[in-house]
Amino acid sequence: MKVRRVSALALLLVLAFALVGGTALAQDGGKRVVTGLNMVGGDVPTIDPTVSETSSSIDVVNQIFVGLTAQSETTGDTIPGIATDWSVEPSDEGVVYTFNLRNDIPWVRYNADSGAVEQILDDAGNPRMVTAHDVVYGFQRGLDPATAAPYSYVPIPYINGAAEFNAGEADASALAVTAVDDWTVQIGAPEEVGFTAAIYGLWVLRPVPQWAIEEGGDSWVEPEFIATNGPFALKEWAHDEYIIVIKNPFWPGIDGIPQATLDEVEFRFLDPAQQIIEYEAGNLDASTIPVEEIVRVQNDTALADQYVTGTQPCTYYLGFDNTEAPTDNVHLRRALSFAIDRQSIVDNVTRGGQIAAQWFSRPGLTAAPTLETNPDLGVVFNPELAQEELALALADLGLASAADLQLTATYNDSSGHAAILQAIQQMWSDTLGLQVELTAADPTTYFASLSEEYPQIARAGWCQDYSDANNFLYDVFHSASSQNDPGFSNAEYDALVTQARTESDPDIRRDLYAQAEEIFVVQEAGIAPIYWYSTNYLVRPGVERSESITGNEAYYNWDVSE
Amino acid sequence: MAQFVFRRLLGLFAVLFIVSIITFMLMHAIPGGPFSREKPLPEATVAILNEKYNLDAPVLEQYLDYVGDIVVPRVTYGRIPPSVSEDFLINIPLPAFMGDQAALRWINFGPTYGSRNRSVNDIFRDSLPISFQLGSAAMAIAMAIGIPLGTISALRRNTIYDYAGMGVAVFGVSLPVIITAPILQYLFGVQMKILPPTGWGEIEHFVLPSFALGFVNSALIARLTRASLLQVLNEDYIRTARAKGLSERMVVIRHAIKNGMIPVVTILGPLFAVLVTGSFVVETFFGIPGLGRYFVTSIRGRDYPVIMGTILLFAGVVSLANTLVDIVYAWLDPRIRFD
Repeated sequence: MKVRRVSALALLLVLAFALVGGTALAQDGGKRVVTGLNMVGGDVPTIDPTVSETSSSIDVVNQIFVGLTAQSETTGDTIPGIATDWSVEPSDEGVVYTFNLRNDIPWVRYNADSGAVEQILDDAGNPRMVTAHDVVYGFQRGLDPATAAPYSYVPIPYINGAAEFNAGEADASALAVTAVDDWTVQIGAPEEVGFTAAIYGLWVLRPVPQWAIEEGGDSWVEPEFIATNGPFALKEWAHDEYIIVIKNPFWPGIDGIPQATLDEVEFRFLDPAQQIIEYEAGNLDASTIPVEEIVRVQNDTALADQYVTGTQPCTYYLGFDNTEAPTDNVHLRRALSFAIDRQSIVDNVTRGGQIAAQWFSRPGLTAAPTLETNPDLGVVFNPELAQEELALALADLGLASAADLQLTATYNDSSGHAAILQAIQQMWSDTLGLQVELTAADPTTYFASLSEEYPQIARAGWCQDYSDANNFLYDVFHSASSQNDPGFSNAEYDALVTQARTESDPDIRRDLYAQAEEIFVVQEAGIAPIYWYSTNYLVRPGVERSESITGNEAYYNWDVSE
Repeated sequence: MAQFVFRRLLGLFAVLFIVSIITFMLMHAIPGGPFSREKPLPEATVAILNEKYNLDAPVLEQYLDYVGDIVVPRVTYGRIPPSVSEDFLINIPLPAFMGDQAALRWINFGPTYGSRNRSVNDIFRDSLPISFQLGSAAMAIAMAIGIPLGTISALRRNTIYDYAGMGVAVFGVSLPVIITAPILQYLFGVQMKILPPTGWGEIEHFVLPSFALGFVNSALIARLTRASLLQVLNEDYIRTARAKGLSERMVVIRHAIKNGMIPVVTILGPLFAVLVTGSFVVETFFGIPGLGRYFVTSIRGRDYPVIMGTILLFAGVVSLANTLVDIVYAWLDPRIRFD
């Protein structure tokens, strides 16, 4: 019995210790926000803009690196970043974009000894400013095959010489990106396209400090080497735990990207389930909400008024194998798509402010149709039409009844996808009498299988790289696109999205995309759009989050009122 | 003794060699690769990435390169900028006459594909000490609860103490960490707000995860201790000890517990190895930056060097722990010899 008493005493001591030490969370002055980063736990893969690819990386990168252009978080439009303005002129190789840069943005680094963000001085003792040469280096690094930047493929068609350079067929001098002087950059492009300026502002092309990268090697993004140019600077990166960014007082403040009001933002790397526990324990100021908690949060009297939902530029859809039987049959695809009650899915399954999708290109993207401009466009639940289409499909396939049709829908394993797929499975059964088998696969196996052997019916989603309908309709489903795994191919559709790409009149563009969508999701039913994504957050009272429609957060627009 | 340790070390290398071959073949056999994405990367980009990480070479060549980087020491000159593919665990500066900044470098577990600025060695350096601290604390808690509980249950067999003790043990075995962790977090973190639900670094971060991890394992130890002790208490030498007039206390402590510990020690070794290399579930629930989650996320992400690194480390620690257990046997029971 004595043994037991001793160990109980030890436990009590540990607890007492914990209570004494438990006040470490108090902050000393300054406006500070602790937030959960949009990710599953682990480490942020990188904060090097050139090689970033996950939304967790990009959320941090956007606070500390600003490119030629940026995206307004309220309108989604392209706004000036470190460039003040730009112009386009014709040239022998197509067009030339000329960007004029601000001359008041320095490279900065947080100094842990002085506890302050400092400008970085060159050998002569002058501050190193962000110049045209840094922009050129950023472009070269992003497109250099040695960098192996995952997103290099997005800007390649918009820069002359980029394809040859990236394929290793030419050196960097082939790239039509030049510094005319310290504050002017010229970029040669094959044609004038409305969203080119947005593409030049993508993370993969952001200016980065060559001298810091040469000194720090692969570790250049660690606080001791990094140099940044955005409204915040990197203060601390505890791998697998958190990143802290601190206000950069040398950021001049521009329209859309003002000087930060917050002094610090701490991003904690937690699964959504852990984020919400920390939020309820009072240790996080903002948290993403795991799918399974959304209904509880909405119905919780204390939490409901801290709940915010917003738009996220992504579309959830089911892809059909357009090239192999039986889903190469257009009537079968239409039957499957019209039999899905999307409103019921967003009302009863996802329940987090998602919108039933009638087409693929997410409203809010530049030139994408919206429910206000094109309320009758696209696909909505229509059981009678679905049954008629199924009868036609069965006749085509030479089958007597729906029971003779063997179909499988595949998804990457997660409880959220399973719930949605099961609801759709039930709808197909109720409306069409079709028994569709569901198969869950390990995510990596599943994603690899999409480009190798596309499933009959596959769960998928697409989020914007840049805010334009082109990024959805042309980049993904043009018949020649490398992203077009379902193998959708329609000459009229290709012609429409190609024409819309270079069209300059916004109304004509939207109309062309509406026509393309009508072919894509209604006539051909190449895919079945399910819903348009939303964001779901909890934000503590007193923390003023800025509303964002880009899917990324702009903490330089946040404030704390107490 | 020295001969025994030497033989065991040889065996350790043989085990690691076999484990490395099996793991390397298995991980390359599972479908998908490190660059399979929901948003597929163009083939040209994947080809560039494969070339960067030498994944376009034949598997045998990749294996030999991998083993070579770990086993073969090398001498380098000049300053090497930090590089994820040239990061060595052992760096010994050589005298100046051997060349500019010459250094002998050894043991490179390669880069991780999950991060652009960390190597597998970085992961070991950052995460292993954390998992070791947590695992040791959990181990201490497991033994502090398990051994007394099992002993009391055995000595007070079929009394209320036995039933209560074994009740706690069955409860502990039946409750996996995925149940206890959120309950502990909710009670102490959300309701009482006296302990942080997640995080690492302060003493209060220790309490919940090490208890969650220790409690479930204490149940195992308690049940084994009880069973083993009951058997020992029926042995002839216990009767002899009692017959020669030793106090019950001496009988239990000197003769029964010491001998009864042999089966317990057998599982303590591997258990310790498992605990100090990290627990995926506990680290995920409590947001602890330990090594445990890398065992799972590396396989999910086809992060080949991390799969290899974590599995070789685990195999090495288990082998070492078993060797230690064998040495402890001899102390517990003099009849056990090493030859």
